[in-house]
Amino acid sequence: MTMKHFLLIAGLAMTAVSCDRLLEFEPGDVILAEDAIQDADDLQRLLVSTYDVLANLYGGRVQIINELRGPNFGAPDNSLDFTAVYNRETTFFTGINGGAYTDFYYAIYRSNVVIENFQFVSDLDADEQLRLEAEARFVRAICHWGAVKLYARPYGYTADNSHAGVPLRLESSQDPLPRAAVGDVYAAIVDDLNYALLHLPATNGVYATQHAARAYLAQVHFLMGDYAEAAALASNIIASGEFSLDQDLDRFETDLINSETIFGIVSQPNDFRSSWFRDNLRSDNTSSPQLAFSEDFAFFMSLSGAGDARSQWYTPGVRALCNRFNNKEYFNIPLAHLTLMHLIRAEALAETGSDLETAIGDINAIRDRAYGAGNFPLSLTSTAEEVRDAARDEYRKETAGEGHWTDQLLRRGAMGESIVIRNAPWDCPGMSLQFSNSENTVDGFVLNEEGGCL
Amino acid sequence: MRLKPILFLLAISSLASGFGQTLSGTIVDIKGNPLPSASVIVDGTDGQFAGMDGSFSLELSPGDHQITFSFIGYLTKKRSVVIANEPIAWTITLEEDAVMIDDVVVVGYGVQRKKEVTGSIVQVSAKQITGIQTPSFEAALQGQAAGVQVSQSSGVAGAPSLIRVRGVASVSAAGDPLYVIDGIPITQEYFLRGNSGAFNNNPLASINPNDIESVEILKDAAATGIYGSRGANGVILITTKRGKKGTTFEFSTRAGFGTPATRPNMMDTESYLTLRQEAWENDGGTGYVWLPNMTSASDDPTTRQQAYLQAMQTNTNWVDETTGMGTKGNVNFGVRHGGDRYNLYAGVSQDNNGSYLLGNSYNRSSARFNVDWTPKSWAKVILSSSLSRGQNNRIDAAWSGGLGDAMSNALPYYPVRYEEDQVDANGNVVNEVGEYFLWFDEWGGTKNPVAVRELKQWKNTEDRSINNAQLILTPLKDLHVKLSGGFDYLHLKEDIFNPGALSITTDLGSANRNANYVLNWNYSATADYRLELDDTQTFNFLIGSEFQRTDNYGYGLYYGQVDSPIFENDSLAEDAANVNRTVNLPSQHSFLSYFGRVNYALKDRYFFQATARVDGSSRFGRESRYGFFPSLSAGWIISDESWYTSEKINFLKFRTSIGFTGNAALPDYARFGTYSPANNGNTYAGDSILYPIQPENPFLRWETSRTIDASLEMGLWQDRITLELAGYHKYSTDVLMNVSTPASTGFTNFWDNVGTILNRGVEFSVKSRNLTGAFEWNTDLNVARNYNELMDIGDYTPDAVSGGTNDSRVIVGRPVGSFYLVEHSHVDPETGLPVYLDLDGNETFEYSNDIRKYVGDGLPDIIGGMNNTFRYKNWDFSALATFSFGAKIFDSSAKRQLGVVTGWNMREEKLDRWRQPGDEATYPRLTLDETTYSLPSGFPWWNTSLFIFDASYIRLRNVTLGFNVPLPAGSNMSGCRIALNATNVFTLTNFPGLDPEVVRDFENAQDRNMSPNVTYLTPPQERAITLSISTNF
Repeated sequence: MTMKHFLLIAGLAMTAVSCDRLLEFEPGDVILAEDAIQDADDLQRLLVSTYDVLANLYGGRVQIINELRGPNFGAPDNSLDFTAVYNRETTFFTGINGGAYTDFYYAIYRSNVVIENFQFVSDLDADEQLRLEAEARFVRAICHWGAVKLYARPYGYTADNSHAGVPLRLESSQDPLPRAAVGDVYAAIVDDLNYALLHLPATNGVYATQHAARAYLAQVHFLMGDYAEAAALASNIIASGEFSLDQDLDRFETDLINSETIFGIVSQPNDFRSSWFRDNLRSDNTSSPQLAFSEDFAFFMSLSGAGDARSQWYTPGVRALCNRFNNKEYFNIPLAHLTLMHLIRAEALAETGSDLETAIGDINAIRDRAYGAGNFPLSLTSTAEEVRDAARDEYRKETAGEGHWTDQLLRRGAMGESIVIRNAPWDCPGMSLQFSNSENTVDGFVLNEEGGCL
Repeated sequence: MRLKPILFLLAISSLASGFGQTLSGTIVDIKGNPLPSASVIVDGTDGQFAGMDGSFSLELSPGDHQITFSFIGYLTKKRSVVIANEPIAWTITLEEDAVMIDDVVVVGYGVQRKKEVTGSIVQVSAKQITGIQTPSFEAALQGQAAGVQVSQSSGVAGAPSLIRVRGVASVSAAGDPLYVIDGIPITQEYFLRGNSGAFNNNPLASINPNDIESVEILKDAAATGIYGSRGANGVILITTKRGKKGTTFEFSTRAGFGTPATRPNMMDTESYLTLRQEAWENDGGTGYVWLPNMTSASDDPTTRQQAYLQAMQTNTNWVDETTGMGTKGNVNFGVRHGGDRYNLYAGVSQDNNGSYLLGNSYNRSSARFNVDWTPKSWAKVILSSSLSRGQNNRIDAAWSGGLGDAMSNALPYYPVRYEEDQVDANGNVVNEVGEYFLWFDEWGGTKNPVAVRELKQWKNTEDRSINNAQLILTPLKDLHVKLSGGFDYLHLKEDIFNPGALSITTDLGSANRNANYVLNWNYSATADYRLELDDTQTFNFLIGSEFQRTDNYGYGLYYGQVDSPIFENDSLAEDAANVNRTVNLPSQHSFLSYFGRVNYALKDRYFFQATARVDGSSRFGRESRYGFFPSLSAGWIISDESWYTSEKINFLKFRTSIGFTGNAALPDYARFGTYSPANNGNTYAGDSILYPIQPENPFLRWETSRTIDASLEMGLWQDRITLELAGYHKYSTDVLMNVSTPASTGFTNFWDNVGTILNRGVEFSVKSRNLTGAFEWNTDLNVARNYNELMDIGDYTPDAVSGGTNDSRVIVGRPVGSFYLVEHSHVDPETGLPVYLDLDGNETFEYSNDIRKYVGDGLPDIIGGMNNTFRYKNWDFSALATFSFGAKIFDSSAKRQLGVVTGWNMREEKLDRWRQPGDEATYPRLTLDETTYSLPSGFPWWNTSLFIFDASYIRLRNVTLGFNVPLPAGSNMSGCRIALNATNVFTLTNFPGLDPEVVRDFENAQDRNMSPNVTYLTPPQERAITLSISTNF
């Protein structure tokens, strides 16, 4: 072997590995962020993913958390997470509150990314852009609203609503944010929903529509104590004639969008989005489901008498087993529906003392369905206070298990009523869920006070 | 540019040229074995290396010449020659340098005389590794090297040990040392199967200890700097056996058994029910207490009473049901053969290691074939190849079941099997006598460790082949060019079959298979050149480049309705119609490196070394892809100075170094912002979705450690005692952390360079020949003290990084992985309630996460080992004791076993509980209600410092009694030894739990760094007794 050969071998050996491209690897099973959003279709799929997160939240999880905080559900069977919520003693070690919190902000982040990427997509016309932004802001609004209701004291807890709410994320920044004031969070929610109301289409498949935004606005204003606005918004929806009360009392239908549904979650046989209800509340699978209505709720329902068709939704007892979701493996879940609009309007009108006739009509529409037409009507001469109380009773019955009632109690407490929830004042600290521990990883974030509700 | 050094080296060497007459010959040792590449110097200025067969040939001019022959580890010989007209042939025999022959150590990309070494390197011999029964070879390193903390694995067969070299310098990136076998950095993934069944894969378990010739542990930057990018946590170089001149055979076999080194002291039925009843009554209950899986609190008193009395009829010792005696067997056969131009080593081995956990064993079959071939005097080929299969017959362990169940949810009144038919209200038999009694734990898992062990089929199979080919060219005197290619193949396959009998709801079972393939290619080229300027000055140059690429991919199979495991029916794997198949695309990474080393020796007593390495990693973006890791070091043999006169201290050396090393052991694609794939299969309402997965961090960069090291080595009384005292200061910056970020950002985790860690310490080791003569007594002792402090974590709080499910956190000013818990003060004698200390040290009955604080850490202050060896005639006896002081252990399972009375069995220590006012007790009043202890309801995890214990221990790790059988004259055997070995003979400790030395199952590398000395239902180590016979012939 000659020197030339040695040099050749050595040279090749030393240089063969000197190529920087040997260090270029990209993940094969995912898309790089810079390549992910190329066209309008990508934006649409990203937007749909926000609904996907909503479905994970409102497929029963948020509803159950809400009911567990309130008087409608009894003590869980043995789930430690449910028990922590029920006892209003969540900590950042409790998984269920941390998980829900994270999901709210997954959806908010994705909504912000949709809004921020219009300029990078060339095949998007102006109408589509408005629609995408409106939907994104709709999702952002209801997630901020869902979060602020669970993780902060209610609107009205302080006179100027300066008390700590939740981080207000209106852009996709990775910077830590402190808790915004509840008033600021609500202002942003209303702003987003108003934008959505303006730019959402009238029909949009299973996704958000103008009426969906309007229905949420009605609920938000109702919780803010802005009763006139709430009543007006609800009236608009009722008057549209696009929705009708389902006379068989089953809003949770399989493979059908119920006629009452203004906006809801779609559950299909391949995804079982309604599994939180199915797995924890159905009483036909096991004699000891994880969750059941409380004795207090059963007593309240028993006051209606056997003529109330809604009495079929539970089996009386210390643990009043829930029958509302029996015989269903999956079903669609209405989040904003016509019954809610009737009852919000009824109570809002009663609160303002105006147009009691309409309010009584709303209540009787609900009662006629429950008891049979004319069997248990609210008197047309009822006072505003009687109308309000009747509206509240019907509200509690109609939304049993739907996760609304606790919010109403907190609203009333914040408005000055003396509200006690399972032997604890409405404003006991533990009513607010503890934040995800991830918020505790950066200095300066103020966590909620824990416990104090037993 | 990279060619220039080579050209320079080659050019220097090209000065060699021809002369008039020939002086040729062979250089051999006293046994006649050739000494390959021995140095032949003519007149102190010119010369050559001998060939691989020891041959040399010089063309010399007529006249007088002085020829110097030398070889590492041998005494240099000089001879004069007068060249006339006739060729001359010599056979030169070099004698071993008695002092130096044992001091040749393997360093990165070469070997060095220890005398010349300027870095911190510890050598461990094959005998030290194979002399101990261990589940994996690395466990045998415990107590052998100062500053090397080896925490033994749990009692699960094949479980990995935890090795930390000079403390922990990483948080989220892997903190294990780099393992290099015959020059190839091997795959060392502990989490290929995650934490399946409370077990981490051990990538070292498939390596046959009997194939190992020696292990070198590189500790400081001077030693590890040549591995730059991956040297921050130390390097462990493994050299396998090679052939020798002639033919010899090695045979050894070992048999023995293993039992638990310690046993859990769980309560029997009577004790458990007594305490449960007391808790019930303390809480205001009347009548008999309700019993898990029999009654509930709302049952009427009569029902509860009947259940209680029935429960008293059963007393199952679940520890006995899940543990026993594991048998061990091992057979090794090897052959070494060598000729003039080649030598080879071939070895086969079968090792069956049954653990004391019933149903659990790790069996390894392995073969190795190493060949050295010298086809030309200037060329040598080295091939090294191993093939092994490790089969782990798995069981559930720790939190997953088995003995873990016996220590938790398996209550003593549960029978293993029904003792009579069970009928329902209608008189129908629902469970027949003899059927397994199954129950559900609080997470809904089907439980009964005996049933699960006997019905569930679980097998992990690892096929591994590590291969290395090297071509060494010696084109010119003193110049070696080495081309090396390595391929490390790892195929890990996990099969699980859960029969229908365990699922209750279905007659058929489910079968899983998860497979990983890790392909690891390595290619390197180096050139080294030795330049002797004169009799007093020598340079050694090394330059090289290296490329390594690793692909990791796999697949998963799942059958929901099947009656056999996949490994018993391979056709299932092809049953596309019924199998749920997932494919994991390759996760890939690569390193591209350039390095160089210059050693300068002056007067054979001043030694200097400079290394530099540039590493590029695919895990970093272009802006921060390359890291530069230099080191400088020097050594001074003081005792070789002319003015040095001490006779007592015959050898005195000082060395010091400073250098930088790095760490890039983070996930392959952590820097990328990513979204779900286009066809991810996920939909909402039938519409496809696109969603973000992780945020990008294009600024991720190398974790870097700067290490300053100094040491003093001494030999006393002609090396009868040798000492080494070393100190180091290791400052790690840009420490990689996978921090939890506020969920409101839309993500929950983020990789970032945020940490700063300090490790500093001293090490002391001594080897003493206490007695010589007919009765010999040798003592080896090493002690190390390390101080570890996390100095900075940016704006993050302690909760930003946690160790898996453990309560270890990052706390500035404290060691990595400190325990962060509510501090327990005492039990109030009046009320029996626990008293906590708030952040200001004030006593309170209120438990709150807001008053969590540093309550200890799992890093020891002092570690070490002492080995005493005694020899008399043919007998020898050795005892290795290891010790650790200053570490705390978090007995995480005790918070349930010794806390609120729940559906977990309790330990007998719980009997020391408060019962009435005035009692001074360790444990508070018994309760079934966690709120009694001020815990949040639904949260019986009593995370307090009550379960932080001193983990100091002294353990008689190994005892060996050996007998070297006298061989008759003329025997073909050259040695025969019989040895009786016992491990974990006894442990001195104040730890009240199972085992003060613990390596639990970890969730990931971060957990592995953060949670040493946390035990959670972790099986204790085994005590093994084995008898071995080894022969050479």
